[in-house]
Amino acid sequence: MPDDADKDSLVEKRWLDALAQGDPGALAGIYELYGERIFRFCYRTLGNRQDAEDVAAETFLRVLRKSNELRADAAFRTWIFRIARNLCIDKIRQHRLLELPPDLQYAGGDEKTALRLAVQQALSELPFEYQEPLVLCDLEDYAAKEAAEFLQITVPALKSRLYRGRKALKAKLNETWNHQSHE
Amino acid sequence: MNESELYKKLIDLYAERSLPPELESEMEVASQNDPNLKAEMEDLRWTVDTLKSMPAPEFTEESYQRILMKVYASGVEMLKRSPDPSHLQLKLPLQG
Repeated sequence: MPDDADKDSLVEKRWLDALAQGDPGALAGIYELYGERIFRFCYRTLGNRQDAEDVAAETFLRVLRKSNELRADAAFRTWIFRIARNLCIDKIRQHRLLELPPDLQYAGGDEKTALRLAVQQALSELPFEYQEPLVLCDLEDYAAKEAAEFLQITVPALKSRLYRGRKALKAKLNETWNHQSHE
Repeated sequence: MNESELYKKLIDLYAERSLPPELESEMEVASQNDPNLKAEMEDLRWTVDTLKSMPAPEFTEESYQRILMKVYASGVEMLKRSPDPSHLQLKLPLQG
Protein backbone atom coordinates (compact mmCIF):
# COMPACT_ATOMS: atom_id res chain seq x y z
CA MET A 1 0.00 0.00 0.00
CA PRO A 2 1.37 3.42 -0.86
CA ASP A 3 1.81 5.78 2.07
CA ASP A 4 0.10 9.19 2.31
CA ALA A 5 3.00 11.02 0.66
CA ASP A 6 2.88 8.65 -2.33
CA LYS A 7 -0.88 9.07 -2.61
CA ASP A 8 -0.54 12.85 -2.42
CA SER A 9 2.10 12.75 -5.09
CA LEU A 10 -0.10 10.64 -7.37
CA VAL A 11 -3.10 12.88 -6.84
CA GLU A 12 -0.94 15.96 -7.37
CA LYS A 13 0.33 14.58 -10.68
CA ARG A 14 -3.22 13.97 -11.88
CA TRP A 15 -4.36 17.47 -10.98
CA LEU A 16 -1.29 19.09 -12.52
CA ASP A 17 -1.76 17.12 -15.72
CA ALA A 18 -5.40 18.21 -15.83
CA LEU A 19 -4.44 21.83 -15.18
CA ALA A 20 -1.76 21.74 -17.87
CA GLN A 21 -4.44 20.45 -20.27
CA GLY A 22 -6.50 23.56 -19.56
CA ASP A 23 -8.96 22.23 -17.02
CA PRO A 24 -9.49 25.20 -14.64
CA GLY A 25 -11.47 22.95 -12.29
CA ALA A 26 -8.21 21.20 -11.49
CA LEU A 27 -7.16 24.26 -9.51
CA ALA A 28 -9.69 23.20 -6.87
CA GLY A 29 -7.81 19.93 -6.54
CA ILE A 30 -4.48 21.72 -6.15
CA TYR A 31 -6.10 23.95 -3.54
CA GLU A 32 -7.30 20.91 -1.60
CA LEU A 33 -3.75 19.57 -1.55
CA TYR A 34 -1.84 22.76 -0.81
CA GLY A 35 -4.33 25.33 0.50
CA GLU A 36 -3.71 24.77 4.19
CA ARG A 37 0.07 24.48 3.89
CA ILE A 38 0.31 27.66 1.79
CA PHE A 39 -2.01 29.54 4.14
CA ARG A 40 -0.03 28.47 7.20
CA PHE A 41 3.28 29.42 5.65
CA CYS A 42 1.86 32.84 4.68
CA TYR A 43 0.33 33.39 8.12
CA ARG A 44 3.56 32.43 9.88
CA THR A 45 5.49 34.76 7.60
CA LEU A 46 3.08 37.69 7.59
CA GLY A 47 1.53 37.34 11.06
CA ASN A 48 -1.79 38.47 9.70
CA ARG A 49 -4.76 36.31 8.68
CA GLN A 50 -6.25 38.65 6.13
CA ASP A 51 -2.96 39.14 4.31
CA ALA A 52 -2.29 35.41 4.48
CA GLU A 53 -5.64 34.75 2.80
CA ASP A 54 -4.92 37.37 0.12
CA VAL A 55 -1.50 35.93 -0.61
CA ALA A 56 -2.77 32.36 -0.61
CA ALA A 57 -5.51 33.28 -3.11
CA GLU A 58 -3.02 35.12 -5.33
CA THR A 59 -0.67 32.14 -5.16
CA PHE A 60 -3.31 29.83 -6.62
CA LEU A 61 -4.20 32.37 -9.28
CA ARG A 62 -0.51 32.52 -10.28
CA VAL A 63 -0.45 28.73 -10.47
CA LEU A 64 -3.35 28.89 -12.91
CA ARG A 65 -1.76 31.67 -14.96
CA LYS A 66 1.50 29.77 -15.18
CA SER A 67 -0.12 26.39 -15.74
CA ASN A 68 1.61 26.02 -19.10
CA GLU A 69 4.93 25.97 -17.22
CA LEU A 70 3.79 23.25 -14.82
CA ARG A 71 5.69 20.04 -14.45
CA ALA A 72 4.09 17.29 -12.45
CA ASP A 73 7.12 16.32 -10.45
CA ALA A 74 8.70 16.87 -7.07
CA ALA A 75 9.59 20.43 -8.03
CA PHE A 76 5.97 21.58 -7.91
CA ARG A 77 5.86 21.87 -4.14
CA THR A 78 9.02 23.98 -4.14
CA TRP A 79 7.69 26.05 -7.03
CA ILE A 80 4.32 26.86 -5.45
CA PHE A 81 5.95 27.76 -2.13
CA ARG A 82 8.37 30.07 -3.93
CA ILE A 83 5.40 31.87 -5.51
CA ALA A 84 3.86 32.29 -2.05
CA ARG A 85 7.18 33.40 -0.62
CA ASN A 86 7.68 36.10 -3.26
CA LEU A 87 4.16 37.38 -2.69
CA CYS A 88 4.82 37.44 1.07
CA ILE A 89 7.95 39.51 0.47
CA ASP A 90 5.89 42.00 -1.52
CA LYS A 91 3.35 42.17 1.32
CA ILE A 92 6.06 42.68 3.92
CA ARG A 93 7.43 45.58 1.91
CA GLN A 94 3.95 47.13 1.86
CA HIS A 95 3.64 46.58 5.63
CA ARG A 96 6.93 48.27 6.30
CA LEU A 97 5.80 51.22 4.25
CA LEU A 98 2.45 51.37 6.02
CA GLU A 99 3.78 50.22 9.42
CA LEU A 100 0.94 47.75 9.88
CA PRO A 101 1.12 45.67 13.08
CA PRO A 102 0.77 41.86 12.95
CA ASP A 103 -2.43 40.13 14.18
CA LEU A 104 -2.61 39.05 17.77
CA GLN A 105 -3.44 35.49 16.81
CA TYR A 106 -2.98 33.97 20.25
CA ALA A 107 -5.89 34.87 22.48
CA GLY A 108 -5.80 34.77 26.27
CA GLY A 109 -3.88 36.45 29.02
CA ASP A 110 -1.73 33.79 30.67
CA GLU A 111 2.05 33.58 30.68
CA LYS A 112 2.27 31.05 27.85
CA THR A 113 0.12 33.29 25.68
CA ALA A 114 2.27 36.29 26.51
CA LEU A 115 5.37 34.34 25.51
CA ARG A 116 3.78 33.30 22.21
CA LEU A 117 2.87 36.89 21.46
CA ALA A 118 6.41 37.96 22.28
CA VAL A 119 7.82 35.24 19.99
CA GLN A 120 5.47 36.22 17.18
CA GLN A 121 6.44 39.87 17.54
CA ALA A 122 10.18 39.13 17.79
CA LEU A 123 10.01 36.83 14.76
CA SER A 124 8.29 39.50 12.69
CA GLU A 125 11.08 41.94 13.57
CA LEU A 126 13.92 39.66 12.46
CA PRO A 127 15.59 40.21 9.09
CA PHE A 128 13.77 38.15 6.49
CA GLU A 129 16.84 36.02 5.80
CA TYR A 130 16.67 34.78 9.40
CA GLN A 131 12.90 34.69 9.70
CA GLU A 132 12.36 32.36 6.73
CA PRO A 133 14.53 29.46 7.91
CA LEU A 134 12.97 29.65 11.37
CA VAL A 135 9.45 29.57 9.91
CA LEU A 136 10.28 26.65 7.63
CA CYS A 137 12.42 24.48 9.91
CA ASP A 138 11.34 25.29 13.47
CA LEU A 139 7.69 26.21 12.98
CA GLU A 140 6.67 24.18 9.93
CA ASP A 141 9.09 21.29 10.50
CA TYR A 142 10.62 21.17 7.03
CA ALA A 143 13.75 19.06 6.60
CA ALA A 144 16.88 21.17 6.11
CA LYS A 145 17.37 19.85 2.57
CA GLU A 146 13.87 20.79 1.47
CA ALA A 147 14.00 24.21 3.14
CA ALA A 148 17.36 24.90 1.48
CA GLU A 149 15.96 23.94 -1.94
CA PHE A 150 12.97 26.15 -1.37
CA LEU A 151 15.17 29.12 -0.42
CA GLN A 152 17.63 28.30 -3.21
CA ILE A 153 20.58 28.17 -0.84
CA THR A 154 22.90 25.35 0.26
CA VAL A 155 22.20 23.27 3.37
CA PRO A 156 25.26 24.72 5.19
CA ALA A 157 24.04 28.24 4.35
CA LEU A 158 20.60 27.33 5.70
CA LYS A 159 22.14 25.93 8.89
CA SER A 160 24.17 29.07 9.33
CA ARG A 161 21.06 31.25 8.94
CA LEU A 162 19.20 29.04 11.39
CA TYR A 163 21.97 29.38 13.96
CA ARG A 164 22.16 33.15 13.61
CA GLY A 165 18.39 33.48 13.41
CA ARG A 166 17.85 31.52 16.62
CA LYS A 167 20.45 33.62 18.41
CA ALA A 168 18.92 36.83 17.10
CA LEU A 169 15.45 35.72 18.13
CA LYS A 170 16.64 34.84 21.62
CA ALA A 171 18.37 38.20 21.94
CA LYS A 172 15.17 39.99 20.91
CA LEU A 173 13.12 37.97 23.36
CA ASN A 174 15.57 38.77 26.14
CA GLU A 175 14.83 42.42 25.54
CA THR A 176 11.12 41.95 26.13
CA TRP A 177 10.63 38.70 27.97
CA ASN A 178 12.20 37.27 31.09
CA HIS A 179 11.92 33.59 30.31
CA GLN A 180 12.25 30.84 32.84
CA SER A 181 14.97 28.77 31.20
CA HIS A 182 17.64 29.45 33.79
CA GLU A 183 15.51 28.93 36.88
CA MET B 1 35.14 22.30 8.65
CA ASN B 2 36.98 24.52 11.12
CA GLU B 3 36.66 24.41 14.89
CA SER B 4 34.17 27.28 15.06
CA GLU B 5 31.90 25.66 12.46
CA LEU B 6 32.05 22.33 14.26
CA TYR B 7 31.21 24.08 17.53
CA LYS B 8 28.16 25.76 15.99
CA LYS B 9 27.05 22.55 14.34
CA LEU B 10 27.21 20.60 17.58
CA ILE B 11 25.30 23.29 19.46
CA ASP B 12 22.68 23.38 16.73
CA LEU B 13 22.25 19.63 16.81
CA TYR B 14 22.03 19.79 20.60
CA ALA B 15 19.40 22.54 20.36
CA GLU B 16 17.38 20.49 17.86
CA ARG B 17 17.67 17.38 20.07
CA SER B 18 19.24 15.57 17.13
CA LEU B 19 22.41 14.33 18.82
CA PRO B 20 22.79 10.69 19.84
CA PRO B 21 22.18 10.40 23.61
CA GLU B 22 25.82 9.60 24.43
CA LEU B 23 27.10 12.67 22.58
CA GLU B 24 24.41 14.83 24.16
CA SER B 25 25.53 13.69 27.61
CA GLU B 26 29.15 14.36 26.72
CA MET B 27 28.30 17.90 25.65
CA GLU B 28 26.40 18.51 28.87
CA VAL B 29 29.34 17.28 30.92
CA ALA B 30 31.75 19.44 28.90
CA SER B 31 29.53 22.48 29.35
CA GLN B 32 29.78 22.22 33.14
CA ASN B 33 33.29 23.68 32.88
CA ASP B 34 32.42 26.23 30.22
CA PRO B 35 29.75 28.73 31.25
CA ASN B 36 29.61 30.31 27.78
CA LEU B 37 29.03 26.96 26.11
CA LYS B 38 26.44 26.04 28.74
CA ALA B 39 24.55 29.31 28.27
CA GLU B 40 24.59 28.98 24.49
CA MET B 41 23.41 25.38 24.57
CA GLU B 42 20.57 26.25 26.95
CA ASP B 43 19.57 29.40 25.11
CA LEU B 44 19.41 27.78 21.69
CA ARG B 45 17.59 24.71 22.95
CA TRP B 46 15.06 26.92 24.73
CA THR B 47 14.58 28.94 21.52
CA VAL B 48 14.04 25.86 19.35
CA ASP B 49 11.70 24.27 21.91
CA THR B 50 9.72 27.50 22.17
CA LEU B 51 9.37 27.83 18.40
CA LYS B 52 8.36 24.20 17.99
CA SER B 53 5.71 24.60 20.69
CA MET B 54 4.04 27.50 18.89
CA PRO B 55 0.61 26.32 17.75
CA ALA B 56 0.02 26.30 14.00
CA PRO B 57 -2.27 29.03 12.74
CA GLU B 58 -5.73 27.55 12.40
CA PHE B 59 -6.92 27.12 8.83
CA THR B 60 -10.51 27.88 9.61
CA GLU B 61 -13.48 27.08 7.40
CA GLU B 62 -13.91 30.85 7.04
CA SER B 63 -10.36 31.27 5.76
CA TYR B 64 -10.80 28.28 3.44
CA GLN B 65 -13.95 29.82 1.97
CA ARG B 66 -12.57 33.37 1.80
CA ILE B 67 -9.56 32.20 -0.22
CA LEU B 68 -11.87 30.33 -2.58
CA MET B 69 -14.04 33.42 -2.93
CA LYS B 70 -11.04 35.66 -3.66
CA VAL B 71 -9.98 33.30 -6.44
CA TYR B 72 -13.56 33.08 -7.67
CA ALA B 73 -13.85 36.90 -7.62
CA SER B 74 -10.90 37.03 -10.03
CA GLY B 75 -13.01 35.26 -12.61
CA VAL B 76 -11.72 31.74 -12.04
CA GLU B 77 -14.47 29.18 -11.65
CA MET B 78 -12.50 26.80 -9.51
CA LEU B 79 -15.61 25.72 -7.64
CA LYS B 80 -17.20 24.34 -10.81
CA ARG B 81 -15.39 21.31 -11.99
CA SER B 82 -15.54 20.29 -15.59
CA PRO B 83 -16.49 16.66 -16.11
CA ASP B 84 -13.55 14.57 -14.99
CA PRO B 85 -11.32 13.47 -17.85
CA SER B 86 -10.73 9.76 -18.03
CA HIS B 87 -7.43 9.93 -16.13
CA LEU B 88 -9.22 11.58 -13.21
CA GLN B 89 -11.95 9.04 -12.81
CA LEU B 90 -10.31 7.41 -9.83
CA LYS B 91 -11.77 8.45 -6.52
CA LEU B 92 -9.69 11.37 -5.30
CA PRO B 93 -9.44 12.35 -1.63
CA LEU B 94 -11.17 15.68 -1.91
CA GLN B 95 -12.87 17.30 1.03
CA GLY B 96 -16.56 17.72 0.80
